[in-house]
Amino acid sequence: MTGSMPYVAVAVLFLCGLYMVLFEHNLFKIALGITVMEASANLFLVVLGYRSGGGIPVYTLASREAMVLPTPQALTLTAIVIGLATTALLLSLVVWAYRHYGTLDIQQIRRLRG
Amino acid sequence: MGAIYTGSGYWSVGWWILFAALALAMTIYFRSLGRGDYKVGTEQEEFFNAGHPVPEDPREYRFPAASTYWGFTRALSRYYDFLFAFHTGFLQDYVALTAGVLALFGVLALLV
Amino acid sequence: MRLDEHLPALLLALPLLGAFSAPLVGKGSRRWVELLLPVLSGLTFAVAAALLHRVSVGGTQLYVMGAERAGLALPSGMSLPIRIVLEVDALSALMAASGSLVAFACALFAVPYMRRFSGFDKFASLYFLLVAGMLGMEVTGDLFNFFVFLEIASVASYGLVAFWRDRPEAIEAGLKYTVVSTVAALMVLFAAGFLYGNHGVLNMAAIASRVDLGVADKVAMALLFGSLAMKAGAVPMHMWLPDAYGEAPSCVSALLVSVSQASLYGLFRTSFSLFGLPRVAPLLGWGLVVLGLLSMFVGVTMAIVQKEIKRLMAYHAISQTGYMLLGVGVGLVASLSPARMESFGLVAIGGALYHVINHAMYKGLLFLTAGAVYYSAGTRMLDQMGGLARNMPKTASLFALAAAAIAGLPPVNGFTSKLLIYQSSYALSPFLAAVGMITSVLTLASFVKIFQSAFLGPALPELSEVREVPAPMLAGMALLALAIAGLSLLPGPVLEHMVMPAARALADRGAYIAAVMGGGM
Repeated sequence: MTGSMPYVAVAVLFLCGLYMVLFEHNLFKIALGITVMEASANLFLVVLGYRSGGGIPVYTLASREAMVLPTPQALTLTAIVIGLATTALLLSLVVWAYRHYGTLDIQQIRRLRG
Repeated sequence: MGAIYTGSGYWSVGWWILFAALALAMTIYFRSLGRGDYKVGTEQEEFFNAGHPVPEDPREYRFPAASTYWGFTRALSRYYDFLFAFHTGFLQDYVALTAGVLALFGVLALLV
Repeated sequence: MRLDEHLPALLLALPLLGAFSAPLVGKGSRRWVELLLPVLSGLTFAVAAALLHRVSVGGTQLYVMGAERAGLALPSGMSLPIRIVLEVDALSALMAASGSLVAFACALFAVPYMRRFSGFDKFASLYFLLVAGMLGMEVTGDLFNFFVFLEIASVASYGLVAFWRDRPEAIEAGLKYTVVSTVAALMVLFAAGFLYGNHGVLNMAAIASRVDLGVADKVAMALLFGSLAMKAGAVPMHMWLPDAYGEAPSCVSALLVSVSQASLYGLFRTSFSLFGLPRVAPLLGWGLVVLGLLSMFVGVTMAIVQKEIKRLMAYHAISQTGYMLLGVGVGLVASLSPARMESFGLVAIGGALYHVINHAMYKGLLFLTAGAVYYSAGTRMLDQMGGLARNMPKTASLFALAAAAIAGLPPVNGFTSKLLIYQSSYALSPFLAAVGMITSVLTLASFVKIFQSAFLGPALPELSEVREVPAPMLAGMALLALAIAGLSLLPGPVLEHMVMPAARALADRGAYIAAVMGGGM
């Protein structure tokens, strides 16, 4: 059962992030919820590559055969950078929204509807 | 000339344009049969406003865009009430609908 | 070094060069950036057209980033494609060519349009990133690379939608679009993770050859399908689209249409090439049909009652996307039996793909004319416009051409592609064609409404100072109008040489896999 625990952790984190995006009203908490969802995606990618008893994949003439997969780690780095760009842009939009609307409540920011 | 096969019929641009040009020529001929002996500057030149006097300000006889198709929207008013209630404008409804449809697809995919 | 071997990489390199050099060039003077934007966009279009020609002559083009061959042979004799492979088949080349043409026309339009606003070098940089992301989504053959280009295009569009940051509505639209789109892109990342964890490869053709439809594969299929449908603007996940397209600058709205179509391309690839197996093809096909019907009808009924010109056109973008989803869904359902495929399936897919390129052209032209009206008359509300045909005759006639195209009036190209979709979906079920025709009538109704209130009618006193728009804006619009005229008057050659090869390339799953894996795997 311990083999599946990381995936359960991914699911729990993802659902926490989704709950924050769906049910929190403060704009910063929504941005934080997106960050938590991105963290769960990164955790998922890293956990995918783990091989039990594997070593670090940086050696050329390694002492043991089993290695942890390096590709998901590269994917995770890319995903972290993308998350950084998105979060930075999202937070600056939140700051501008506060300047225009005077409130951080998402239920008040509703001029475009219908 | 320029015909494509649409699965159960043909569509030809060239022949359509030819027939449209023919119809246009006939229309122009019929229009040219009008009378040219009207007096300029009198009431014969005013446009017909269903018998009412023509107002000075052009905004008075414009039909604003917001009230076009009033009959259509009034006839389907129950559908439109539902539709406007559906498009709330809340961000969380956008995300909830996306997550809901994804969950629905996931369940359907796992059932197949 | 032969240049035409490197065309796929050039296609991505030119916009990226523009994106990173625009702020540097902008340090010199604004005139240089105003020169850089159209010139590099035009060069990108030339490269895309050359690539289209090369693909139509030589078949699917493979380009391996950083190596000579795609596969790496293991000691056991098995060959794995481990590098990022750009796989350009007829469908990719067609969509890249149409997207880059729209980008060129919008770049010409943007030069005078943005003259009243500062930060043009940053606008140009974001614009090039958006073009690079769109083209990358269309030519790549690697699933994670697809995700990266999807995010590049998305982040650039978040910035461009909120570009007029002094308007509260633009910031609100950007905020909502960012949140929803980030959630969807995360789903694509999860799907890529599921597929990688299950099969160990990221190349789309390699995954397609190993799909075994276990739980992980089905979850990945559902996530990819749903998120890409959301990015393309399918109902009921469409609500960000009117906000984002309505509040962005008009040149960006016209380009965002092509970017949404790149997500639509991803959806088609997922449905046909990745997961087009007989066991799930009915689910995917009927899913596309249902999404298409909902999008068509809800899009057009919401559009008729809008009061603002760009929001109305954005709802029509949703409705026209429904036609494309309907056509491809009918084709996917028909692909289960070769007889049906022969009689109406390929025609349905061909009609939908023809509608994709037609829509990019005429919807781009519609958004550009709306932008021209906003530039001259200063308003976007239909109630405040009137009688502009006297002051802006060229814009009015271009709008009339594009409105005839979207309403499906013969002989313009919108009619041709809609006819193909009606006749093939009728063969599957008459109800589909009936919904399509009702949508077409309501589309005509709403564009008559815009034409009457904006261009016809008596001249309003407050709009008497309105003049025709500057020449580069007219040039951009005329370029799209020329493309519409070409697609209308030459449907035979366009269908035979560009669209039907793309339809056949989409429907042929084996050929897509064999191009990378070498067949007989």
